[in-house]
Amino acid sequence: MLCIVSLVQEFGFAHVTFFNASPDAVTIFLAFIAVTFERNTSTSFGFAAGVISGLLSGNMGLHMLARTTGSFIASYFHTPNESHATVNQRNRRFYSAVIMAGLCTNVVLAAGENPLGVSPLYRIFVFGLLESLFNLILAIVLNRLFLRQLLVYE
Amino acid sequence: MRKFSTLIIKYNTWLLFFLYCAIAFLFMRLQQDDVQAELHTGGMEFSAFINEHVMSFNSLFTMKRENERMMRVNTDLLSRVLSMETAAVDKRNRRKILADTTLNASGFIMARVVDRKFSDRDNMLVIDAGWRKGIKKDMTVLVPEGLVGRVTSVSEHYARVMPVIHPDFKVVVVADSCNSMGILSWSGGREFLAQVEHIPISSHLKLGERFVTSDFSTFSLRGIPVGRVARIKADNLFYDVDIWLGVDFSTLTQVLIAPLKTEQEQTGITGYTTEKKARL
Repeated sequence: MLCIVSLVQEFGFAHVTFFNASPDAVTIFLAFIAVTFERNTSTSFGFAAGVISGLLSGNMGLHMLARTTGSFIASYFHTPNESHATVNQRNRRFYSAVIMAGLCTNVVLAAGENPLGVSPLYRIFVFGLLESLFNLILAIVLNRLFLRQLLVYE
Repeated sequence: MRKFSTLIIKYNTWLLFFLYCAIAFLFMRLQQDDVQAELHTGGMEFSAFINEHVMSFNSLFTMKRENERMMRVNTDLLSRVLSMETAAVDKRNRRKILADTTLNASGFIMARVVDRKFSDRDNMLVIDAGWRKGIKKDMTVLVPEGLVGRVTSVSEHYARVMPVIHPDFKVVVVADSCNSMGILSWSGGREFLAQVEHIPISSHLKLGERFVTSDFSTFSLRGIPVGRVARIKADNLFYDVDIWLGVDFSTLTQVLIAPLKTEQEQTGITGYTTEKKARL
């Protein structure tokens, strides 16, 4: 599943750019994993996602670090199955995980590479916020479509 | 040991995270080292080094052929330059002659000096105009600076000219201001110095005075400059005069040939034959 999402991201969503920012399906997937599964699992998923993204992009070390960090941060929004959280609470935690994972991933990537030649602060705050916004919109759409059932009945 | 195990179990998530981060940093470090790129660059440099030396070694064998080719190119370019320079010089000389306002060269024939023989005794010029261009024997050859000589023989395309600096050449000349007349001749030696004989000692000849051809000359037009008085030496009855010739024979390239002056009636009255008058 992770491989499919990574391929979709690399050859699909990566080309859908708005103001030089594009939504990140891998981050949404990692956020979903972080919310659903325990911390170690989500961190490992992040690491694996970093390996795949690195292989596809050619900068393996940086992507491994970025995805691992993003997943690790997102795992703070983990909602155990036995918790009595309502659907809205679960959704909010999922969206928060998406935003935080996206921001952390962007911060690490901005620190390591700068393909557009813009300043790191601009990249972190403008592109990072834009990507987080796009991720949030995509997460809402996906959640409305089919993730909601998974989150509730996990 | 138990505490250590407890610590590991308690913070296993962080440990796992740091482990992954360490692996990521290790990969980043390996990418920065870029061993493969360095190997590639080194290989390219080595290959270029070998190729450069092999090519420079080969160039030694092809040097002779290359030199011959360059020589041919140089020869071709040199001939072109010479041809263009010659044409430019000819054009310049032609303009110079035609631009002289003291000489009405409209009826004159222009020719180029194609051969010359200079010595301290016997001098001769050949021009590239013959009877096809209307050149006839005894025509006067001149340039704006002065008298050059007279045509002595003509072929279809060329003519031989006896210059002023020939021992057999003689022409009647007249001084510009005092009108003293004499016969110009050249007795060998320096090509820029000629002598004028038969000037009476009573004449008021001065140094620097200009001599021109006289109307008494049987072949030459009147008023062609010849030279200026350089030295006057009094003899018993006549002056012995040296004059600087106006024409620089060493740089002569283009000349004008004046139409023939022969007037049958004048010839009949004076009784001179063609050969006799040709001397004057």
